[in-house]
Amino acid sequence: MSVWLLSAVVLVAAWIPCLGVCILATEFDALVAVELGSTLLTSVLMLLSLAFRRQPFIDLALAFVLVSIVGSLAFARMMEEDI
Amino acid sequence: MKDVVAYVLLAAGVLLQLIAVLGLCVMRDTLDRLHCVSLAGWGTLLIGVAILVEQYFSLLGDKALLAGFLTALLGPVLVHTTARSFRIRTRGDWRAVEDYPTRERRS
Repeated sequence: MSVWLLSAVVLVAAWIPCLGVCILATEFDALVAVELGSTLLTSVLMLLSLAFRRQPFIDLALAFVLVSIVGSLAFARMMEEDI
Repeated sequence: MKDVVAYVLLAAGVLLQLIAVLGLCVMRDTLDRLHCVSLAGWGTLLIGVAILVEQYFSLLGDKALLAGFLTALLGPVLVHTTARSFRIRTRGDWRAVEDYPTRERRS
């Protein structure tokens, strides 16, 4: 197992506390956990692209950055008005 | 030498993100926890730089750097918007006016 793949596994394991916060904490805390989990997923996709030498993963990471930011912004705006 | 620099940057990035996850778990309230999102964004940027050092300016390295840069750049925007929404939801308005009617008093 390369260092890059090992780092990706460690970051995937770091999702578990984020999932716990999503389930157990308040709704805004859950939104923060989702935002942090999105950042972790971006890093995991970047690391997997290098570990497996697969070009599409880095395109996926790049697309996911934009989609996750827009999605989180939409969530934040909707939760502002209690929709 | 190139591998050492890449591994140090990678370790720093992963460590920053683990600290951010730890902060998410131990911080007391939402506004404290929001700080962790920006920290994790800098971790992603460090990982992108590590991939760039490993791959030089190839297509993979360029895109990794761009993804890390976007995450670090747009993270504070996201944090600010979330904090603003939280404040509006809890106080009724984002402005720091002492006698501004809260949502509870208005309804």
